[in-house]
Amino acid sequence: MMPLGEPWKALVPGGGLRRGSTVVVEAAPGLGGLSLALSLLTASSANGHWAGVVGVDDPGVVAMAELGVDLRRVLFVPRPRGAWAESAADLLDGVDLLVVRPPSRAAHGVARKLMDRVRERGTVLIVLSESGAAWPLPAELSFVVTDSRWATSSRLEARYLSVRIAGRGEAGRAREHVVVLPNRRGQAAAT
Amino acid sequence: MERLLALWVEALSSEEPDGSTLRDSLTLLDALSLLCPFSELVRLGLYILPLRGPSRFFGGEEAVMKMVRETVRDVTGHEVLLGVADGVFCAELAAREQRVVAPGATDVFRRAQPLEALGRKDLATTCRRLGLYTLGSFADLEVARVGERFNKHALELHRVARGELGELVGQRDLRLAVRLGRLRGEREPHHEQLGLFGPRGAGDERAFAAAHRVRRRLGADALLVASLRGGRVPEDRATLVPWGSPLVEEGTKAPWPGQIRSPSPATTLAHPVAVRLVDQHDTPVLMGARGMLSGEPATLLLTHYARRTVLWHAGPWPLVERWWVLGRRRAYLQVVLALGEAVLLVAESGRWWLVGIYD
Repeated sequence: MMPLGEPWKALVPGGGLRRGSTVVVEAAPGLGGLSLALSLLTASSANGHWAGVVGVDDPGVVAMAELGVDLRRVLFVPRPRGAWAESAADLLDGVDLLVVRPPSRAAHGVARKLMDRVRERGTVLIVLSESGAAWPLPAELSFVVTDSRWATSSRLEARYLSVRIAGRGEAGRAREHVVVLPNRRGQAAAT
Repeated sequence: MERLLALWVEALSSEEPDGSTLRDSLTLLDALSLLCPFSELVRLGLYILPLRGPSRFFGGEEAVMKMVRETVRDVTGHEVLLGVADGVFCAELAAREQRVVAPGATDVFRRAQPLEALGRKDLATTCRRLGLYTLGSFADLEVARVGERFNKHALELHRVARGELGELVGQRDLRLAVRLGRLRGEREPHHEQLGLFGPRGAGDERAFAAAHRVRRRLGADALLVASLRGGRVPEDRATLVPWGSPLVEEGTKAPWPGQIRSPSPATTLAHPVAVRLVDQHDTPVLMGARGMLSGEPATLLLTHYARRTVLWHAGPWPLVERWWVLGRRRAYLQVVLALGEAVLLVAESGRWWLVGIYD
C-alpha cells in the first residue's frame, strides 16, 4: 500500500493506494482535477517515494510544495511530444507513483499495456482525465469531481470539491464526499 | 559522442596505504556532483563530467572549468589538469595535454595521437613495423586486416581509434564504484539530505535510471526537476530545470514580503497568455497608476471567441519589483469565472496576462 495523506486516508477504501493499481481522476477542465491528482502523492512523497508527472505542461511547483509533495523526488515530463505513453512506461520502472495526463483519449491497447506494466512493477498509476475522454478501461479506484466552489474573502480562501470515490467490487460502492482542496495554506483537508 | 570535461588529479591517482586517497576522491566526487550531477570517477585520479548542461547553466565552458578548478583546489588542495573532448578516451588525453578540443575537432585530435595512447606496447611495436605511427593511420586499416594481423583485443582498440567506441577497455576501474559505495555506506548517517543529487539509495538509483531512459527517448530538455526559490510570485519562485542541471539552491521557506499568498495555482504558465479584461460595456479594464482598476471586471476574453463571465475578483495587488533595474510594475488579480474555475492574472505594461490556473 502507498500511504495517503489528509483527507484521503479516511475516505479511500483501505486507506491507501494499492501497489500495482490504476487510479482515475476525472474532472472538467479547471475544476480541481490536477490538484486532486497531485494531492494523492503527498504522503508517499513525504515517506521518500519517487513520483513522476507526465503530460502536465506547466506544473505549479509552488502549489505542489504547499500540498506537501517533496519536490526533490519528482520527475517531470511536461511535454512528452506525442510519446506520453512511452514516457510513462519509461518512468514506471523508476518511480512509485506516476501521474499521467493523456493529451487525448487513450487507445484501448495503450491503456492495457500501461496497466499491465503498472501491475508488474507495483507502481501506482494516476490517470488525470479532464477532456471528457474517459480512460478506456476500468480502474481499481476512481475520483470524480462533481462540483467545485470557491470560498472567498479579500482573496481566494479555499475550494470545496465534491468528489465521488468508487472502488471496484465489494468495497467499491461509490460515495460522495466534500473535501477542501486547496485550503488557505494550499493543502488538502477534510471539511 | 558526448562532449566531456575530464579532470586529471595526479595526487589522487595512486592509493595511499591509509585509505585517504579513496576518501578524498569521494569527497571531491560529491563536490563535483553539486556542480554537475553526472560527474563520474572513472578511476582514481580521473573524473569526467558532461559539459553541455552545466555550460548552458553557468554561462559557458570556461565558466564551468573555472568553477571546477576552484572546487578541486578548495576541496583537495591539489592541482588539476583539465581537458575537453568527445568521449572518455579523448577527454582524458585532452586533460593530459591541458587542451580544450573545439567542438567537432575531436576526430582530428584523436587521429593525431601516437599509438602509445592506446596503452598497448605490443600493438604499438607491431604497428611501427608496418609504418604506422598515429591512431589515424591505424584507424585507416581495414577491419579485416586488423583481424588477420593482430589479436582479438586489437579489434576493440581499432574501434576506439576509429572513434566508434568512446572509451578504452580498462580505462575505467569497475571495482571503484563498489568501493565508493561501501565507503559511502559508512558515511550515510551524516548525509540526511539525500535528495536530488546527493548520495543515493536503491530507490534513487532506480529513479535515475528511468530518468536516463526518458532523456534518451525525448532529449535532454524533456525531463525536468523542480526547485523552489524565495520569490514573490509563483512564477518567480517556481523553477523547473532540465534534469542534470545543477540544482538551484532550495530557497527559504519564509514568506517574502508582498508575496502572493497561498494557495498557489496548480498550473503556472511558463509562457503567460495575453488576455483581455472588460467591464459590462466591453470597455477594457486597466490598471491605474495608483493600483486601482479603471472599471469593474465583467468578462475575461481568453481569445477573440472565448468570453468568460467574471463572477468575482480580488486584488489588484501591485508589486513593484526590481524597479531599480527594469522599472517594472506588476499587479496581480485573482478571478473566479462562471463555471467555477479560478485564474491568476497579471497586469503589466497596460496588458493582462494569464499566468496561473487553479486547476
